[in-house]
Amino acid sequence: MGATVLKAGLEDTVQDYPGRKGAFGMGFPPSGPIDHWSFRLANLLVGNPPGAAALECAFIGPTLRFDRDTVVALTGADMQATLDDAPVPLWESVAVRAGQTLALRSAVRGARAYVAFAGGIDAPAFLGSRATFVIGGCGGLAGAPLKAGRTIPLSGGAGTPGRRVRARHRPPLAGGGAWEIEAVAGPNDDWIDEAGHRRFLESDWRLSPKSNRVGFRLEGPDWTFTRKATDKAPENGSHPSNVIDHGYPIGAVNLCGQTPIILMVDTLTLGGFINPYCVPTCAWWKLGQSRPNELYRFRRVSVAEAQERRREIAGFCTEAVLA
Amino acid sequence: MIYDEPRFLPGGDTFVLVQFGDDARIDLNFMALGLTAALREDGTAGVIDTNPSYNSLVVEYDPDLIGMADLEKELRRLIDGLGPVEDLELDSRLAYLPVMYLDPWTKACVEDYARRITPRGGDPEFVARLNGLEDAHQLVRVHSGTEHWVVAVCSTPGLPLMVALDPRCALTSPKYDPPRTWTTLGAIGVGGLSTSVYTTPGPGGYNLIGRTPVPLWDARARLPAYRDRVVLLDAADRVKFVPIGREEFDYIARRVEEGSYEFNVTGYQRFSVRAYKAWAASLDGRARF
Repeated sequence: MGATVLKAGLEDTVQDYPGRKGAFGMGFPPSGPIDHWSFRLANLLVGNPPGAAALECAFIGPTLRFDRDTVVALTGADMQATLDDAPVPLWESVAVRAGQTLALRSAVRGARAYVAFAGGIDAPAFLGSRATFVIGGCGGLAGAPLKAGRTIPLSGGAGTPGRRVRARHRPPLAGGGAWEIEAVAGPNDDWIDEAGHRRFLESDWRLSPKSNRVGFRLEGPDWTFTRKATDKAPENGSHPSNVIDHGYPIGAVNLCGQTPIILMVDTLTLGGFINPYCVPTCAWWKLGQSRPNELYRFRRVSVAEAQERRREIAGFCTEAVLA
Repeated sequence: MIYDEPRFLPGGDTFVLVQFGDDARIDLNFMALGLTAALREDGTAGVIDTNPSYNSLVVEYDPDLIGMADLEKELRRLIDGLGPVEDLELDSRLAYLPVMYLDPWTKACVEDYARRITPRGGDPEFVARLNGLEDAHQLVRVHSGTEHWVVAVCSTPGLPLMVALDPRCALTSPKYDPPRTWTTLGAIGVGGLSTSVYTTPGPGGYNLIGRTPVPLWDARARLPAYRDRVVLLDAADRVKFVPIGREEFDYIARRVEEGSYEFNVTGYQRFSVRAYKAWAASLDGRARF
């Protein structure tokens, strides 16, 4: 019993939050939703724990036909969803009857929509998580994005329709194509010279269309380096951005030659390029909701500030804030 | 060099990079793996995971349970408890992996790159020449003549990053520039000071010298070795490559296909850094197999 995929979206994957933790030692990144703020709210709306398995749909969403009554909630990007022919509100739980069709279309605002079902998606856990890791071909449903004809197995649970998230508790998806993204300096900030830091913080960075759950590629000015990057043991490699292979923090601004790539939830877990900054978890929703060719401006914050903002968002992702 | 004091570098709001030094001497990896083991044993509150490498260790933590300052204090306490690197002893299994060196598949992969991206000759010959070896056959003797230390399992599922433990078998070579867009699954690659095995058919930069018919991870638990684990190797394990010919390759590939292949992994050994260093120091480093 569940929902049948009549038409697949661009990349619809089952995710859970916080994803596959504790698996770096086996070479697995965490996966999970990029905009984990919208994701958690979708689950709460249908009465699930905030981390339950739900769908992440990138840019163009799927069409699903239900063969059971349930309650669903849509959050994140606006994909002009309809249930049969009636528009479906975002940030609100909605009753669905067996036989009805939920259709998501292209995102008109934001980039990733989240769809939660009362009781969650009954995908098998792999290494403790139901999150899909596409490159690894594991997790989720058959380790891959949804395909037409597949049934999404639903656990079934008692949701309450008509619950809402107040505007002040939602990620502020204003649109406009310009984003201010928090960035914490380090671990390799001392490889970049002062002019390089200034250029990073004072320039617009364009999000490349070649971005996905593995990494968000940015286009902007060149980087300049300190002696640490140029006078180093030969085993570090020849380019200033090369370093002896080290583990990658998720969210790191990974400098690959002159191209910064923000390593996201499906990233390689280790490699040989420096990470002058990291985008903290409180800003991942902005990555998840930004569209190719939109502009990023980075704002430096301390570790403590980033952790405070993380706590603030976690405070919004609780049952108590629902109306 | 080895830092007098390890460095603690922030990686956003939930990671800290502990760096023991700035080059690739193996002592630094022993320290990173020693700290990994100490964290596991200690069960430090708020620590979620670790991601070790050559000279550093990424620690993931939950800032709701432990702040960065307190985490640093806990890590210092555990590092002090490790004592000098010579005192470290690590659990270390030895895995025998069959490899067809100078195989046709990685040769085709390199030729495809040379045709489509930028011209280059054969990788084994290139690495042999750079390291002062007679030919690709001596490269095979050297590469299969040592145990390889698993520095980390990382990057993609089950992928071991390894260095030769026998200094007489150390190889160095530059990585591809630009990188390959695809790599033969199971390819054995060497690049920088490392050896690796490609566990996914994705891009790559190591020079390809052989191919193993056995998978180093299996999410579907088809082979007996993967009934209670997802990846074959852990950091601090050792790998010995066993040269095989085409017939043996095909036989093993069939056994893997039908789900009956048995890995040869010994599990009774502890690795003593002191004993290893004494042995390595006793060798004539100029000798080659």
